[in-house]
Amino acid sequence: MDYAKPLLADALAAQYVAGTLRGPARQRFEALLPSHPALQAAVRDWQGRLMPLMAVLPPQTPSLKVWRGIEQRLWPSQSTAAVQPWWRGLALWRGATAFASVAAIALGLLLANPPPSLPPVVVVLESTGASPLAPAGLSLVASVSADGRALVTRPLTQVSLQASSVFELWAVPPQGGPRSLGLISAQSPTVLQRDKLPADLLKGGTAALAVSIEPPGGSTTGAPSGPVVFVGKLQL
Amino acid sequence: MKIEPADWPQRSQELARLLARVHLGDRAAFAQLYERSSTHLFAVVLRIQRDRVLAEDLLQDIYVSVWKSAASFDATRSQPLTWLTQIARNRAIDSLRRAQAQPRLVSTTRDEDDESPDATDALADEAPGPLDLLGRASVARELSHCMDLLSAPQRQSVALAFYDGLSHAEVAEHLNQPLGTVKSWVRRALQTLKSCLDKSAVRDQQQGLA
Repeated sequence: MDYAKPLLADALAAQYVAGTLRGPARQRFEALLPSHPALQAAVRDWQGRLMPLMAVLPPQTPSLKVWRGIEQRLWPSQSTAAVQPWWRGLALWRGATAFASVAAIALGLLLANPPPSLPPVVVVLESTGASPLAPAGLSLVASVSADGRALVTRPLTQVSLQASSVFELWAVPPQGGPRSLGLISAQSPTVLQRDKLPADLLKGGTAALAVSIEPPGGSTTGAPSGPVVFVGKLQL
Repeated sequence: MKIEPADWPQRSQELARLLARVHLGDRAAFAQLYERSSTHLFAVVLRIQRDRVLAEDLLQDIYVSVWKSAASFDATRSQPLTWLTQIARNRAIDSLRRAQAQPRLVSTTRDEDDESPDATDALADEAPGPLDLLGRASVARELSHCMDLLSAPQRQSVALAFYDGLSHAEVAEHLNQPLGTVKSWVRRALQTLKSCLDKSAVRDQQQGLA
């Protein structure tokens, strides 16, 4: 077949984009495509005509495990680390950079608020990249009053969650499983309920804070059930 | 994330920036690309491969290959959403062929076994039909006058092939018509759409200039 003939090129491109060019015919066509500018142009024209019609398909949300599977396949070395409980890896957490940003933000808070008797403890929770909803590079700040009786979280970038999911904040003790501190907003500052804070929050009872994505109302299992999207070490 | 046909070029522009960064190995950009395009691509795949588990596997394959082949995307020539959609459709159609070759995996057949209606049937029931989709698209793109030029069987054949990924032979079986008849319906329908769409594009341009 002479694929340079414009009419033939156009007819084949039409069938290719419409999806009716099948089997060996499509394979031949795809093999020829890179070296035939006329075919490429015909395909582009047909895509321009037909593909926007796909926009009317009602969106479908894949399960979270699809993204995790993609990450595992592309970057397997990092996902083997994730086989351990996630809070075990905290000791390795980027100390120096985290400390620098903690210091900068603590200073900012001090300048913005009249200093109380003791400055609050600020924890920067950085995105773990575990979910596309909170891609790497985002962060969230939690500030704990010096007496450990008040905790406020503040997202540095607004994260848009679907209506079917919420952020839950966890205190991770040096030993044992994490414990829920309550639900927090992905968009605006949240003041945590006083009675939910452990009494030993700043007295060695907490090694880190973490945020997971959970169904509305929060995890029902007592431990994070969705991906852990933010983690920050508590440095006193 | 719902995309309107009119938003297609603009949505594509955002994705083009992300794809350029993905090409440089930027994982955060890749995560954003996934976040912004996966519900659309999943809809495209699920429409053709109705087994949700297989469709999710396919979606994984698709994004793994997008990461690996971002370099081959040419932003000066194609729109990212179009490029991504084409990749997704081809994979979904291939998966049907493979599934047919391996009867073990078949959950796409819609005959017998009426005692246990599976998830496939449930989806088929609540999902809009291909003709319905084509109707919505024509309203959204103001191309109903182009659609009006097609005969009812032409419209139906194109809709079944385009949205549901049916081959000529499957469309023929579905409509209970000879293969040759269906082939010529599809061919003529596409030609009619082409000349009508190209005319309206020219008209739009002239109005834009006026």
